[in-house]
Amino acid sequence: MGNEDEFYVRYYTGHMGRYGHEFLEFEFRADGRCRYANNSNYRNDSLIRKEMYVSPLMMKELRRVIQESEIMKEDDQRWPKKNVVGRQELEIRSGNEHISFETAKIGSLVDVQESDDPEGLRVFYYLVQDLKCLVFSLIGLHFKIKPI
Amino acid sequence: MTESYDIDINTGVDEDDTMIVDEDTRPLAVKRKGRGFRSESKEESRDGVRSGEKYDQFESITEEDAAAGRAQRSVEGWIVLVVGLHEESTEDEITDKFADFGEIKNLHLNLDRRTGFVKGYALVEYETYKEAKNAIETVNGTKLLGSTLHCDFAFIRAPAAPSVTDRERAPRNRLGRRRGRSLSPARRY
Repeated sequence: MGNEDEFYVRYYTGHMGRYGHEFLEFEFRADGRCRYANNSNYRNDSLIRKEMYVSPLMMKELRRVIQESEIMKEDDQRWPKKNVVGRQELEIRSGNEHISFETAKIGSLVDVQESDDPEGLRVFYYLVQDLKCLVFSLIGLHFKIKPI
Repeated sequence: MTESYDIDINTGVDEDDTMIVDEDTRPLAVKRKGRGFRSESKEESRDGVRSGEKYDQFESITEEDAAAGRAQRSVEGWIVLVVGLHEESTEDEITDKFADFGEIKNLHLNLDRRTGFVKGYALVEYETYKEAKNAIETVNGTKLLGSTLHCDFAFIRAPAAPSVTDRERAPRNRLGRRRGRSLSPARRY
């Protein structure tokens, strides 16, 4: 298998706090396996873990969304560092490129504007929202649960 | 920026012996970028999608339906994915196109968070396999607002065993309880 077939996406957002380790994480493998985990210890301490396989057409669409975002051209060097509020990670392997970005949680576009790399961080900010939107639709329709 | 490269240690190629190296048999170097590669905070995220040990197996749907081929049924129906949507497509236009094949139980038409226009895909739910299959076959390749649509089921069945999932199945401890939670303290009288 050539390197150009390599594909993997993982997103994590979470923090350690009063209710323990609260996080949301999902990943897609090239073969379509999508895993989703969401943990909150608030009130009811439940960990939700879901697994599903999406079709090649879905994977193609996911690749398109990532490619068109041009996230692979960015660099997290000047993005806000993770802090007590929490952190986000975005890992993407696409062909011969492999990124694993780590930054603080972003509350709103104001945080993006005020950072040292607003253009790069904006790409990350919107891509993450688009990816979450897709995953929530998939989870919602497949399992009939409302994530978060 | 620090860059490191994946080196395949299994190629058995002696680095000094460059004369006989066949470039094509060596994996291309992988360009790495990002703080995540040297972060020490990874331990926390082991609770999530990458751990198979700590909690019960991931919940999934494994309903058998021999007639459905590779497609996987969802909890309440069959989900059709349509891609190639023009950014100005509307819910009404998509409903019009897909209502011919059966009652649409659900429609997700997600928007690009930056532009507010349609992202390019939609998910349509039908109650029966037949309706979904018919919609896929009929709509696939047709145009909407000048844009060619492609359709397929959104979900497929997990590949046949032995899957990674099976191997990762979390062992239960001797009390038959899942790990990740400590035992309650013994009752005191």
